[in-house]
Amino acid sequence: MTAAEMPLPLSLLCQFILAMLATISFAVAFQVPRRHHMACGLVGAVGWIVYTLCNTLLGLSAPVSTLIAVLPLTALARFFSITHRAPVTLFLLSGIFPLVPGAGIYYTAYYFIRNDQRLCTNKGIETIKVAIAIALGIAFVCSIPLPRRLSRQQYRGPNSSDSSPQ
Amino acid sequence: MADRALKLIMDCGQAMLKSGGEAFRAQDTMEIMARSLGLEDFHVYVLTNGIFASAKGGTVNAVRYVPTFSTNLGRVEAINSISRKIADGDLDLDGAEQELKKAMHTPVFSEMIEHLASMVGCACFAFLFGGGPAEMLAAALAGVLESVIVTTFSHHRINRMFTDLLAATACTLLAHAAHLFYAPLNVNVSIIGALMVLTPGVALTMAIRDIINGDYLSGTIRLFDALLVAGCLAGGVSLGYLLMQGIMGVIA
Repeated sequence: MTAAEMPLPLSLLCQFILAMLATISFAVAFQVPRRHHMACGLVGAVGWIVYTLCNTLLGLSAPVSTLIAVLPLTALARFFSITHRAPVTLFLLSGIFPLVPGAGIYYTAYYFIRNDQRLCTNKGIETIKVAIAIALGIAFVCSIPLPRRLSRQQYRGPNSSDSSPQ
Repeated sequence: MADRALKLIMDCGQAMLKSGGEAFRAQDTMEIMARSLGLEDFHVYVLTNGIFASAKGGTVNAVRYVPTFSTNLGRVEAINSISRKIADGDLDLDGAEQELKKAMHTPVFSEMIEHLASMVGCACFAFLFGGGPAEMLAAALAGVLESVIVTTFSHHRINRMFTDLLAATACTLLAHAAHLFYAPLNVNVSIIGALMVLTPGVALTMAIRDIINGDYLSGTIRLFDALLVAGCLAGGVSLGYLLMQGIMGVIA
């Protein structure tokens, strides 16, 4: 049974769980310590569910859905980086994978081989758009400054430790 | 004393870059450590694959070259916490050296576990992209194959681009072979599921993070890396199709 054949709530539930599993697999491959695995999985699953909702239910295009999905994903990654006191990279790198345009890369090559110039260009440009959407989303959320109290707890640059050596 | 401190700082920076930390993170970490260890006049410039540093008015210098990297986020976290402890005054130079040695020797997940993770990841992605049990099974097999190819090739220090190309070809061929045995199989979905593990998500994300933080050169290096890998995957899939066309005379 595929996701499209299931009733909607069940399909969403299955997608959430499997997106989580997929993200945790990446976390394992990247040697993320075990205590962060659930957080990584949640980040990836939330990103994917928002993407599916936008793409299939609201009928938005892939780049726009990706842009919308990256926002809560990155915000959640930053949230976990504070609560788990770990670099935001841990959660962001594993969580972003479900949104990376693997299908776009594949279809570009597929239509290229089938000599379909129009679809090949379409898919190629869409892939680049999705990549740019990911970039914009991460850049946007990462640039929002945190209140001083919180940013001191986050593992980041000199801002967080300016006051700590005393 | 300054030599030892500089060596520790350089070791930490190098380990961080090598494990997949961003350039700005390595730079920040090293600057924090230098300040906390009392290394005067410390200047450092970090690139994706190199670190240049000097201290004490240019009398102590060090350069490190970091050619390859394998993502190990656990290590990035460990080194981050070392720098934090030094800044808080919980660790001195000896303690930090011990901690770094411990961080570099923490056990990593074994290759078996990595193959398993690749298998589960590919199966899940095949489902997410619209596949059923058959596609998930095909993608899982392709995932193991890819993981084995990637680890074996990296042991023999074979070029990473070639590795990606070949892994993509292998998963395309495997999906087509599965299609021959089980005709209702959706080849596209199985291949996409298997391909997701190879996509340059890490390079892309790091490029963005570096560029946001103003490290345009490091960001460009990573972005170029991401583009090349994506190109290799597309090339690998194309190659798989061409081979299949040559063998079978048709495109599935």
